[in-house]
Amino acid sequence: MKRRRSLFIHLSHIRILVQKFALVLLFLLAFVLMMVNKTDTVIIEKTSSLATDIVSPMIDVLVIPAKAIASVYDYFKDLRQIHQDNLRLRDENKKLMNLYDRARALEIENKMLAQLLNFVTPPEVNYSTARVIAEEGDAFSHSIIAYTGDASNVRKGQVAVTDKGVIGRIDRVGKMYSKIILITDINSKIPVMVERTRVRGILSGDNTPTPKMVFIPLEAELTIGDRIVTSGVAGVFPAGLPVGKIISIEKNNVQIKPFGNLERLEYVKLVDYGLEGVIEDDLQEAQK
Amino acid sequence: MDENLNEHITSYFQRLLPLLSSLFLLLISYIPLDFSLFNNIRPAVVLICVYFWMLHRPDLFNLFSVFILGMFDDIISSAPMGSSIFVVLLMYWLINNLQRYFNSKPFAITWYGFAILSLITMLSRWLVVSIYYSRFLPLDVLFFSYLATVAVYPVISLIFAFVQNSLIQDDEV
Repeated sequence: MKRRRSLFIHLSHIRILVQKFALVLLFLLAFVLMMVNKTDTVIIEKTSSLATDIVSPMIDVLVIPAKAIASVYDYFKDLRQIHQDNLRLRDENKKLMNLYDRARALEIENKMLAQLLNFVTPPEVNYSTARVIAEEGDAFSHSIIAYTGDASNVRKGQVAVTDKGVIGRIDRVGKMYSKIILITDINSKIPVMVERTRVRGILSGDNTPTPKMVFIPLEAELTIGDRIVTSGVAGVFPAGLPVGKIISIEKNNVQIKPFGNLERLEYVKLVDYGLEGVIEDDLQEAQK
Repeated sequence: MDENLNEHITSYFQRLLPLLSSLFLLLISYIPLDFSLFNNIRPAVVLICVYFWMLHRPDLFNLFSVFILGMFDDIISSAPMGSSIFVVLLMYWLINNLQRYFNSKPFAITWYGFAILSLITMLSRWLVVSIYYSRFLPLDVLFFSYLATVAVYPVISLIFAFVQNSLIQDDEV
């Protein structure tokens, strides 16, 4: 009897020890995962993409009823807007028709001049649209998951835009789902320039809603309200895509408000300019 | 024989309910919302899940459940892989050691306990991820996220209380 009791006490001690050991082991595992993630190897990227592919369909299923509830509310909200929008759109259409005629004339003229100069035309642009199924934004990261992947010929580094401007770039590509890092994320660095003065810099996210423009020349002339567009440097982002506007200029701190509404993303457009850029080179190097 | 099997399956499912309901809420928390404020300062749902279940049903929510929850959060999020696992393990360790102060106490005290423990865990994650990036992450965004987390605790704990009271039956019953 006494022997059995001591055996029981012994076993419970072992159990507590194992539990404590498991906790320490899992803490270590968490740190190892962070370390490995920091190295950004192809294995980690592939594993992460696979995991996203497994988890994302679960969110996708939940999105359907949530969207259905939201759409009923939106329907009644939108009804009031429709008449006003209709009038505004008719007016806008007239103006756009005029602009279209002018643009056609300019396009023909541009083609003729390019032929005269032996100008190499930039690559064809391909668009694909993807539905946003998950969104996150807090002090630690700003990203979305979109229903598009390898199957839709999506590649890492492609630009994600809305009708208003650039919102981010593809970071992880799975079979069916891809993770897009928003321009507000701490990992986002985009070569940009001021549209008016062509001053170049880097738009650097910091996990706040307003990313900063850094690496600007000291003598640069900047004013609040200046439009910021992509500069095309490094060949990842094509030049001239609208990004945002300057909302505050302090010493070494230029804050930009993105044009794209990062808070309500239902669909995003992925732009494929056929530019390989540094990201593809990095990948090949890593694979070697 | 069939009845026994059914009972076994039901009992097994009930034991998994805390983890399943936590995963369900975690996935819901990532659905895009037409609410700009919420999209920038998302509450840390994983912390609420770990705190609630470790406090009320530690027998059904073990270290493995905590790890799975953290791993799911890490997969969906684009924060450094492992940072969410770290924060839920920290919450697990804290609540394991401080359980006696908050268990079987009025709701206000458990809420207060959550407010303190979530502050410690969120600040720890902030520090770890800041070291990871070698730069400080925005504290103001973290602060508002913390407030949102503490504010939604009663709502989520109400949902979990419903799960606990109506779907999970004790073995003795």
